[in-house]
Amino acid sequence: MLQIIIQGLLLSGLYALIAMGFMLIFSIGRTLNLAYGAYIMVGGYIYFWLSQQLGLPKLIGFAGAVAVGAIMGLLKHRLIVKPLKGDAVAVEISTLILAVIMQSAVVLVFGDASKILLPIIPGVVTISGAQVTYNILAATLMSWIIILALYAFIRGTHTGRAMQAVSMDQKGAAISGVDPDRINMITWAISGGLGAAGGVFFASYTQLSPNMWVAPVIISVAIVIVGGIGSIIGTLIVAHIIGFLEIIIVAVWAPELRGVFTMLLIIGVLIVRPQGLFGREEH
Amino acid sequence: MNLRPHHFILWALFIAGMLLMPELVGRGTLRTMIFACYLAIFAISWDILSGRTGYISFGHPFLVGIGAYTTAILTRRYGFPVEASIPIAVLVTMFGGLIVLLPALRIKGSYFALVTLAVMELMYQLVPVIRPDLTGGTRGISRLPALTRGAENGYYLAVSLMLAVALFAWLLMRTRLGTALWAIGQNEESVRGSGLSTTRLKSFAFLVSAAVAGLGGAFYAHYLGTITPRAFFDINVLFQIIVAVLIGGAGTILGPIIGAFFMVFLLEWLRPFLPGQERFFVYGAIALLIYMYQPKGIMAIIDSGVARLRGAKT
Repeated sequence: MLQIIIQGLLLSGLYALIAMGFMLIFSIGRTLNLAYGAYIMVGGYIYFWLSQQLGLPKLIGFAGAVAVGAIMGLLKHRLIVKPLKGDAVAVEISTLILAVIMQSAVVLVFGDASKILLPIIPGVVTISGAQVTYNILAATLMSWIIILALYAFIRGTHTGRAMQAVSMDQKGAAISGVDPDRINMITWAISGGLGAAGGVFFASYTQLSPNMWVAPVIISVAIVIVGGIGSIIGTLIVAHIIGFLEIIIVAVWAPELRGVFTMLLIIGVLIVRPQGLFGREEH
Repeated sequence: MNLRPHHFILWALFIAGMLLMPELVGRGTLRTMIFACYLAIFAISWDILSGRTGYISFGHPFLVGIGAYTTAILTRRYGFPVEASIPIAVLVTMFGGLIVLLPALRIKGSYFALVTLAVMELMYQLVPVIRPDLTGGTRGISRLPALTRGAENGYYLAVSLMLAVALFAWLLMRTRLGTALWAIGQNEESVRGSGLSTTRLKSFAFLVSAAVAGLGGAFYAHYLGTITPRAFFDINVLFQIIVAVLIGGAGTILGPIIGAFFMVFLLEWLRPFLPGQERFFVYGAIALLIYMYQPKGIMAIIDSGVARLRGAKT
């Protein structure tokens, strides 16, 4: 029982972090960024390359992954999303193509076989009978620190409030002196960095493989849609619902059914209540 | 599209060329063409729904997969003859699509795409778990009865099926229904405003699309002889179908066919240089460039090229 609670909390924190970056883009542009998973994958692989293949300090590996993720986010906004001028269908399709390109780029550079990431912090701690690796504990703590920092940034700073304004009403924000283009670029960069950071932790939780991006994208989508677009609290709550559901199903039922309930949840909620459980009405 | 005599001549030449192909090329190329024909069928199926109405389906591999699995289970597990199992597979696909995806047609845009994507992923995870005695689990079902023997016969079968589907889609789109579907893609509100039931139109497009996907999937399964969850309910399959339509040209009949052949042959030519999945890197880059530069695809590029040539002559 305790094992389930601890593992559920750890996995949920990780999911919340991954979903957060996706949520930023989805709430601002209403664009379904299917290539979000590419940040996660690239983040994991860059960290692997810098810290494990080149043997650089782990912190540099992590910073490098986040930087590459942020640059990818910027490039994607400049080269794909902006030229398509908010055509949602075109963005969906081109990001799907981009995701497959990134997947094959990873195969090209790192090969087809999956790779094991060394733990970021080695060691195991036993919390009242439940075995928890320091690695996952650290990942969850870092996830929470990043999430809280993001929350503070969005609520507390001028730029963060401008992001909220753009997400609610692009034209209105522009009239009141916000440059939506600049805000969009910042958001895409942050989203890319968040995805890459999440990717490092996610890869150390599972492993690195060229198709590791599919599951996190679908989980992020599920969390954000069910949680309600633009709602950070909703995202956190639903990340925990999904994280715990998966742990419980794996523990008491069958590991193969792990993702099934995530899919059923997303299908059910989308059909019954497309604005999500905690979301505001769309017009 | 106004029909002129030269259109008929071009189509006749195209069909004759396709039928003569086994005389001109080797076995290996023939197999590549068979695959292209099936991909073209799936692409036409996707285009009937998504290319016309703008409701992007990310779940088409799901429909293809139901068709393939139904006929595989019926023939291998229950000993049905192929002639009976394929029509049943088509019906099951229509029914399966109906109960799972029809509620999704109420929701718009990205959300429809999401639901269909989730349905595909759900199938990928469920098929190996539920009744592995029927579905064969992750290893799938092998030794399916073949419809014909030899590459040549397989090719004729695939080409005739593709041409039949193309002809059917073309006839369908020439009716007022086709116009209405296209109009939904342009502006759904005004179609509803003109007194038509968009729900009924979309459902119909969806059913036709599912029937074609199921038919293609069933024939494809018997051609392959084996099916696995990975070969059907996978994002790469989805990628190939969508890219074939987009590269060729959405909303046309010839577009998905051109796109499918372009895609399959490009991948085949890349094989000596990039043997594995890396091929999709070059392929995807080309697809993305074409899509960003000309969203209407190769058809539009050819059209504007022809127009430019004509303009130069006069």
